[in-house]
Amino acid sequence: MSAQALESDRATNAVGGVPEAGPFDAWLPASAPATGEPGWLTAARTAATERVRTQGVPTGKSEGWRYTGLRALLEQGFTPVDEPLDAMLREDLDDLLVPGLDAHRVVVVNGSFAPHLSDLDDLPKGLRIGGLRATLAEDPDALADDLARIAGDGAHVFASLNTAGMGDGVVLLADRGALVEKPVELLHLSVGMDEPKVAQPRHVIRLGDGARVTLIERWASLGDALYCNNAVLEIGLGRDAVLAHRRVQLESPSAFHLSGVYLRQGAGSRYDGINVGLGGRWARTDLVVRFAGEHAECDLSGLYLAGDKQLIDYHLDVQHGLPRCTSRENFKGIVHGKGKAVFDGLVYVAKDAQQTDAAMSNRNLLLSQGAEVDTKPRLEIYADDVKCSHGTTVGQIEPEMLFYLRSRGIPEGLARRMLCLGFAGEIINALGNEALAGYVSEAVGGRLQAAPL
Amino acid sequence: MLSVKGLKATVDDKEILKGLDLEVGAGEVHAIMGPNGSGKSTLAHVLSGREGYTVTAGSVTFEGRDLLELDPEERACLGLFLAFQYPVELPGVNNTYFLKAALNAKRRYHGEEELDAVSFLRLMKEKLKVLHLDDSLLKRPVNVGFSGGEKKRNEIFQMALLEPKLAILDETDSGLDIDALRVVADGVNSLRSPERSMLVVTHYQRLLDYIEPDYVHVLARGRIIRSGGKELALELEQKGYGWILDEAAA
Ligand SMILES: Nc1ncnc2c1ncn2[C@@H]1O[C@H](COP(=O)(O)OP(=O)(O)OP(=O)(O)O)[C@@H](O)[C@H]1O
Ligand SMILES: [Mg+2]
Repeated sequence: MSAQALESDRATNAVGGVPEAGPFDAWLPASAPATGEPGWLTAARTAATERVRTQGVPTGKSEGWRYTGLRALLEQGFTPVDEPLDAMLREDLDDLLVPGLDAHRVVVVNGSFAPHLSDLDDLPKGLRIGGLRATLAEDPDALADDLARIAGDGAHVFASLNTAGMGDGVVLLADRGALVEKPVELLHLSVGMDEPKVAQPRHVIRLGDGARVTLIERWASLGDALYCNNAVLEIGLGRDAVLAHRRVQLESPSAFHLSGVYLRQGAGSRYDGINVGLGGRWARTDLVVRFAGEHAECDLSGLYLAGDKQLIDYHLDVQHGLPRCTSRENFKGIVHGKGKAVFDGLVYVAKDAQQTDAAMSNRNLLLSQGAEVDTKPRLEIYADDVKCSHGTTVGQIEPEMLFYLRSRGIPEGLARRMLCLGFAGEIINALGNEALAGYVSEAVGGRLQAAPL
Repeated sequence: MLSVKGLKATVDDKEILKGLDLEVGAGEVHAIMGPNGSGKSTLAHVLSGREGYTVTAGSVTFEGRDLLELDPEERACLGLFLAFQYPVELPGVNNTYFLKAALNAKRRYHGEEELDAVSFLRLMKEKLKVLHLDDSLLKRPVNVGFSGGEKKRNEIFQMALLEPKLAILDETDSGLDIDALRVVADGVNSLRSPERSMLVVTHYQRLLDYIEPDYVHVLARGRIIRSGGKELALELEQKGYGWILDEAAA
């Protein structure tokens, strides 16, 4: 279907009230794409819109959504953020910053790049950071190989929705050989509006051959606002490029969070990603990895904490389509109260992907009777010369450990927290940045303290 | 200090302690010996409040208080300390942080101010020296990857730091080489005082050469079946338990 045809469909839809209105119609942009948008992007958008219409809503029977229901999300009646929020001041950020973190900061408010809140003055040579809209306006074809290409067509409906409704986002381009010492912080700030709004930021991160960057991606909000984020990050790593990617999701307790990280790794590149999921009422993250060259390494690890009225879902999809790549997946979860967590890790090794080295682990600590975790590691191996393993555990706090601490005079509540933090420590310490590790550790400790253990 | 009267305890409906009596006065060192499986560790666990044991009869008072109605942490704060036969590994829990949490929990319980980082470190350094412990162990997670001997020394190190009134040492000597045994015994001896009592569970007379007990008890089949002075340990070393068991049965 052409863009023309789609537009006329939409018109009928609005005027004539065609009965089969899709559940996500409200998420689709009401207006025609911004003028001056490159043709390839309009085409991708059109195709995505079409997919949204044909795919419909995933149900409990849909692959990837068995344990994660969409009813609550649909009930909110989210509509797209319509105007950028310019009223935020720099001072408003003070309480949301990571104490002691020295970083180049780029801020996104309700899905739109907010230059006046960002700190991008002293970017080193070879590193460019800007808004998606601005980047496309300046050079319409700058992102033609990456935007909507890395995430591709096969992804689930929320990625399609993001493409269809793509507003703004951030573009980070590191030139070939650029070594960026200071981390780059990408802060998503969500501010509640009168009506429940969904923001759909789209980011493109591209590292040229041999470039090295640390990206700290954070999600925060003012107060306990109700909103939804449906973000897509497309990351392309050139030959031998190294990206350390830290993701800390601390959305408001009422928020809905969807994010998809789509990764394309060149030969010899290394991606080291750590996901921390603490916030939101309902949070779903997809990490999708494709190798475009041999000897690439991908490390995905994570820590999630789900408590009362909270669902945290991580879906990993790592495809070894080429030989001699390495992937590691190591996720740990703590679930308390009536919290629920979902971990689904797929590692697919194609027939020709010989000498693949893959190891997956998912360990969970359930702190209460009502806590629930659904863990599903999936190894699909079609090559015969590979080294692959997986392991999952779901357990409680060991009574011996608890007694040992209590026998030293440590009160039970603190003893439990110490053991949980010990369990989480492996991931927190791996964050590698002292300020960030301290911040996360504090957030985890605070959550555990507030939780009835 | 500690008075145990007619103590009976079961695990999984199996009676392990079958009417045990024991009186420990202030400053006294009591050795408890006895065959494997006789209930020595069970006694230590019941005294320190471990879950999973049901006391079906008898009483335990510690400095005039009913010990059995207190949580393990409260017993510890009141001055009870158990050096575990099998110290527990705590992955991810830093040893220094653990020790500080323990010490400050006790201080809080007694309405004292928490120790600041500097005073705490000074105190640790001091105690480390006594036990010839390498301070790299303090940076590691509690007991994780420690050798058997290091674990036992870490127990005595904790005891030195927490300064209990009654210390129960459950086979602290097993798994120690000869030098480590001497170091641990020296550590224990340096803590002996007229206010501090000890219950030393051991299989070997050797330890008692270093830590001289005031009394030696034989625990068998859930009861103290013989008590005596330190010469009883020597006699057991030579003759084994058979004769006492026979006499007790007679
Ligand atoms: N959880 C349990 N369930 C069943 N039986 C138990 C349990 N714990 C201990 N026992 C039993 O209680 C008895 C006493 O055990 P305890 O560990 O107190 O012996 P001990 O005197 O310390 O022995 P050792 O010298 O070998 O350390 C043993 O027969 C043991 O098998
Ligand atoms: Mg024992």
